[in-house]
Amino acid sequence: MTELQDLAHKLLDEGTVQVVIGWEDSRRGARPVTITDAEDASRLIFDSRCVHNLATYLNPRRSQVRALGKPAVVVKGCDTKAVAALLRESQFERDEVVLIGVRCGGVVKDPTSDGVLTEETTAPRCVACDVREPRLADYIVGEAQPEPPQNTSLDDMVAKLDAMTPDERLEFWTAQMEKCTRCYACRQACAICTCDRCVVDKTVPQWIERAPHARGNFSWHLIRALHHAGRCVECGECERACPAGIPLMLLNRKVQQIVAESFDFTATDDLDAVQPIGDFLADDHEDFIV
Amino acid sequence: MSANAFISNEQLAGLVAAVVASGTRVIAPVTADDGTATYSPINSLAEATLNGALPNPSLKAHFLPPTETLMSWRQHGSDIEIGSPPDSFAPQLVLGARPCDAAAMDIVDSVMNWDYKDELWNARRDATTVISLACPGIDDSCFCTAVGLGPDSSRGADVLLVAVDDGYLAEFATERGAAFLADNAQFFSAAADTAVAQADESRAAARSAVEANLNVDTKRIEQWVGDHFDDEFWLTLGPRCNGCGACAFVCPTCHCFDIADEQSGVGTGVRRRSWDTCQSNVFTVHASGHNPRGDQNARYRQRINHKFYIYPSKFGDALCTGCGRCIRACPAGQDLVEILQTIDGMAANEQEGVA
Amino acid sequence: MSEATTQAVGAQAGHLYQPYLVTVSEIIDETPDTRTLRLKFQDPEVAQSFDFKAGQFGEYSMFGWGESTFCIASPPTRKGYIECSFKASGKVTSALREANVGDTIGFRGPYGNYFPIDEWKGKNILFVAGGIGLAPVRCVIWNVLDRRDEFGDVTIVYGARSVGDLVYKRELEEWAARDDVNLVTTVDPGGETPEWTGKVGFVTPTVEEAAPSAENAVAVICGPPIVIKLTLPALTNMGFSDDAIYTTLENRMKCGVGKCGRCNVGSVYVCKDGPVFTAAAMKALPAEF
Repeated sequence: MTELQDLAHKLLDEGTVQVVIGWEDSRRGARPVTITDAEDASRLIFDSRCVHNLATYLNPRRSQVRALGKPAVVVKGCDTKAVAALLRESQFERDEVVLIGVRCGGVVKDPTSDGVLTEETTAPRCVACDVREPRLADYIVGEAQPEPPQNTSLDDMVAKLDAMTPDERLEFWTAQMEKCTRCYACRQACAICTCDRCVVDKTVPQWIERAPHARGNFSWHLIRALHHAGRCVECGECERACPAGIPLMLLNRKVQQIVAESFDFTATDDLDAVQPIGDFLADDHEDFIV
Repeated sequence: MSANAFISNEQLAGLVAAVVASGTRVIAPVTADDGTATYSPINSLAEATLNGALPNPSLKAHFLPPTETLMSWRQHGSDIEIGSPPDSFAPQLVLGARPCDAAAMDIVDSVMNWDYKDELWNARRDATTVISLACPGIDDSCFCTAVGLGPDSSRGADVLLVAVDDGYLAEFATERGAAFLADNAQFFSAAADTAVAQADESRAAARSAVEANLNVDTKRIEQWVGDHFDDEFWLTLGPRCNGCGACAFVCPTCHCFDIADEQSGVGTGVRRRSWDTCQSNVFTVHASGHNPRGDQNARYRQRINHKFYIYPSKFGDALCTGCGRCIRACPAGQDLVEILQTIDGMAANEQEGVA
Repeated sequence: MSEATTQAVGAQAGHLYQPYLVTVSEIIDETPDTRTLRLKFQDPEVAQSFDFKAGQFGEYSMFGWGESTFCIASPPTRKGYIECSFKASGKVTSALREANVGDTIGFRGPYGNYFPIDEWKGKNILFVAGGIGLAPVRCVIWNVLDRRDEFGDVTIVYGARSVGDLVYKRELEEWAARDDVNLVTTVDPGGETPEWTGKVGFVTPTVEEAAPSAENAVAVICGPPIVIKLTLPALTNMGFSDDAIYTTLENRMKCGVGKCGRCNVGSVYVCKDGPVFTAAAMKALPAEF
């Protein structure tokens, strides 16, 4: 068994945790798995197909995962940023979860592919990764890996959109919004969409139209992107989850760029970081909430 | 009624041109620059990519649109004036439907006419002639044969085309299909024996390819699922699931919907129905806050229940055509082929008296 | 599925999802949070011919706000109007509560199955209800009382948390005044007022105390889950078989016609195989309601 499997086995066997959330191999590539039996720890894998942000399984709205008991979750460095965001927002306590960090050499966008890393296949989130060592984790397993190829297509496209006229941008986004059917795969995949009752599900009043016409879809996606200002860790899971192929990361990347410019803040695994939108300080240099 | 005829590629282009010229909308799979496909209107055969990528959304979107107006109203003081939706739709032709998509519409017809007739669904069905194209099978997520269909099934199609050298063999599966042949006979000719043999061979090959993906007994799956509502097997599926609607919305047979009003102005508005999913955490929640399906274990169980036990027990068909879209779309790796395999295994063990 | 309850396919106003237009003709506040609307069909032909059976439900809508599912609370023996009773607990019910006399709202129905009253001829009937659960039962109570000769003894046990929570107070008085009805009302301990002359105690012991015979009798029960949960075993102890106990199940419903896929409990669709179930049928349902 590998270092990861041994550790998972030990944690389950000793009762330190009741479930290990990690990745397993399957008929169609790498996928998340919840292991509750120490004997199943040998199913755990980690390789470049493990793109999923497993921090999402710590999201409190996943009651059936909570019901499995105290978790250990296998996390790449980027995933720890999402864990840190959840901790900063008091979604759970640090000692309620065990983090098993894996040293990562980059992941591909498609977990069902062969995992070969190229500039095209590597996930955009791997660009300029600053968490090669998942510092937040309780345990860190695996060998240090070479830096992954850099897929700059996301930033390139954001720049392209920036260079468009407002009319051209509107045309681009209208075409995308017409594809959305409001499956909410984006929301459900997201680690930091933690609201018990999402704003779009609130009916008194009906803040956002629920019907999947372009107008309603614009409301939904723009508001979701804004609700993630300073919170999104840019893992790209929303875009990967979208069955309609909408390039949601263009929105999220742009919002986080604005947050970085305006508040000098980017997603971080630092538990003490002050979140620009979420945190209130008495000595805030703004004298109102915006 | 499967009179075999042949239509060459040129003749098919001519047929499409003629239908378009007559003012009838033609819908076909169209592949975009990024390689994705949709069922979209075309003006010529050249715009279509037959048997290219599997279109998303499925053909369902043309019969039960993601959102649809059920009625409109206008308020005059205390009075309300209601506007009805269309009684009928302009005739349209679908060319190159995947057999899994065509069969899905036929399967959903049952619930749409279950005592009460859903006029909008029926009107769109009545307006549409469906020409399917036999499929070679796509990948290892296809399992249409496992649910009693197949890559060359003509279920739900008026005409089934099978690709052969230089054109297609055409099988006229319904009365409407026969009428279509009669109206467009000039584009069709007699099928040569070689073409028929070639078609038979490719159909058999496609079926073998898909059969290799999954071979189960859906009757005993139905029995097992109906009998094992409380089985701990359901606890193994929920944890991985994100609880989104991706699987339901890409599915050609999922038809659950929500009804909601939308104000469109002062004193005017519409009542719409929009796609909804049993995977949503608010799907069954009561006004009191009580939720009969309060976690994803229960909700995922409902998905399997509805498709492989409830629908077959009421209407005789699984609510599934084995198209595999749910498997390909799921970001969390839920695999219906694997799930059905596992349930079939448990059902077989039970049948044989093995614990 | 109970063979005793069958379903009538409802007439339609036009398209399947098109509501009848009804005018609010009267508003009665049963309690501070429960309101009854009396509704009259605007189309005179529909007003004349509209019919339904006790236990059926409808989709009531406030245009611009949406539809909500309530049972038809008035009895089919009273022609010319229908009634619904509801608490303002969400978007649509809050909007319905804002409707004034003279306003137009929508009604789709009748949907669902019904209490098989004809099979109860000659039998004694026990009605048990708690809180707003009296609404669907009230409909069948009046249906029975309007055909009083056809049935044996009629016992009604109705309880609520407090005097203020009792619904249909004016009708409770009518029933109390009749000598062909045995009405027992009760409020939870602590819910009585100095003027209260009814019983004090939970519904279940009150039913046990009233102890109507289960011989040649059926029981109809509706109320909050806790009332049902405790009273069903009591009825069993009193000798009522599960086939002789009827209840109405409220599940989240939307289309009302078996298509939107929301209300099923296992393979049973509450909008088509229900909402009326015998205790036997209900116990056969998976724990999904």
